[in-house]
Amino acid sequence: MTNLFFGALRVAVLVALFGSRPQVAGFTMQDAITYTGLTQAFIAAFSLFGWYDFMRVIHRGEVGGDLLRPVNVLAFWAAQDAGRAAGQFVLRGLPMLGLFALLWGAGFPGGPQAGLTVLSVGLAWACGFAFRFLVNCAAFWSPDAVGIGRFAWAAMNLCCGFLMPLALFPGWFQSVLAWTPFPAMLNTTVELWLGQRIGPDAWAALGTQLAWTVALFALAAMVLARGLRRLELAGG
Amino acid sequence: MHWRDESPGLLPSAIRHLHLYFLLLRAQARSQGVYRVSFALDAVAAALITASEFAAFALVLPRFGTLSGWTLGEVALLYGLAELAFVLMDLAFGGFDAPNLSAHVRSGSFSTFLLRPAPLALQVFGSDFALRRLTRVVLAAGIVAYGVTHVEVAWSLGDVALLSGAVAGMIAFFGGLFVVGGALTFWTVDSVEAMNVLTYGGRTLISYPMDIYGEWLRKTFTYLIPAAFLSYFPVLHVLGRPLPDGLPGFAAFLAPLVGPALLAAAFAFWRLGVRRYQGTGT
Repeated sequence: MTNLFFGALRVAVLVALFGSRPQVAGFTMQDAITYTGLTQAFIAAFSLFGWYDFMRVIHRGEVGGDLLRPVNVLAFWAAQDAGRAAGQFVLRGLPMLGLFALLWGAGFPGGPQAGLTVLSVGLAWACGFAFRFLVNCAAFWSPDAVGIGRFAWAAMNLCCGFLMPLALFPGWFQSVLAWTPFPAMLNTTVELWLGQRIGPDAWAALGTQLAWTVALFALAAMVLARGLRRLELAGG
Repeated sequence: MHWRDESPGLLPSAIRHLHLYFLLLRAQARSQGVYRVSFALDAVAAALITASEFAAFALVLPRFGTLSGWTLGEVALLYGLAELAFVLMDLAFGGFDAPNLSAHVRSGSFSTFLLRPAPLALQVFGSDFALRRLTRVVLAAGIVAYGVTHVEVAWSLGDVALLSGAVAGMIAFFGGLFVVGGALTFWTVDSVEAMNVLTYGGRTLISYPMDIYGEWLRKTFTYLIPAAFLSYFPVLHVLGRPLPDGLPGFAAFLAPLVGPALLAAAFAFWRLGVRRYQGTGT
């Protein structure tokens, strides 16, 4: 309910910004409304307000229990978070989108674009998870990792297109963001969902998402390994 | 100690309570300063959350020109005042925020507040003084300063007084909402989500010119929950614009009355809740 109320306020701001303009930076007013519904729907599934679960496990020393399992620590946490995210999306995200469709006429992708969009949703989660996991790994080195986390989530919310669609930002800021993994965590999915990237362009977008996901997972695995080694040295 | 010392006059007792309050704040400020790096990061992150939200809006606005006729400076004035009041309120009333208070109620540690020989409300006031929020105060003041210098207003002493009254009214208003939310935890252990709509939602709502909202939403937050009187009307007055619904000009000056009235009602409700509190038996 809180989520829907904030969604309504965000819709009001965007609608007021559009005024009588039919289109701005490739966005129609209807697109802007669908965008708002999407971002509100993904808050829980993508943990956009932050995620400290792995950090807590490190600080409490319970990560030792994770090591006893006959599975890779990173894969175990990824599988767990995937399940949580899927549950959140089905139970909270889809009803939210349904309400947005009902109240403001938010749209859904159709045809082959729908398949690409589903792929993109999965990649956006994976990319976001790898980033969240990486941030949580800071807990191996710092007892103050919560502050680092807050910092990271604030930057992510601005740069992944959660607060405003990235296409509406000034050109210079967009070109800076294009070199970061943040757009792959949400904005790319929004663009595919709205049909702003179709055909080869859509595949290129998915490729970029995949590349960032692989890179961040590799980095997370590396940082995790170093963190765990450090933990053993400390006798944890 | 004489009995007479236990019941001092009104003024000495107020001074004693204020002294006690600042002792509580100092103790917390000290403990928060222990981990310097952690504190610095938390403080910067706290400001960054506000900053990123307003930055997103400010970065996007040039594409559109104005927000239904409001320039960036004008919105900054509205947004900054709401943020400034809310953060100051959070510093003072943080202890009443439902998540904080319900944790005390759930664990039973609220009982210790009742056992101590100090006024209950004073202890709750002094129980969550998050020093890191000071960076947000500075940032909010910066947004207000940007707004003040980027609107076409020949600032008079009256305008300054009007907006100061608006901030004071907003602090009392949102403080009252926190107190109501806190008091509700005496009835239900789960913090009430609907209160978040009023507190955090209300803050966001009054951060933008209210004519952008649908008729029903604007009227609800004008006549049912009088939030529009707190910042929207005073800012409209300062900018020399008419109030909506043909409201008389003096409606812009009601913030210092509306806020404290709600706060007083909230504390009446709080006393009802405290009487109901039975502890957890620990």
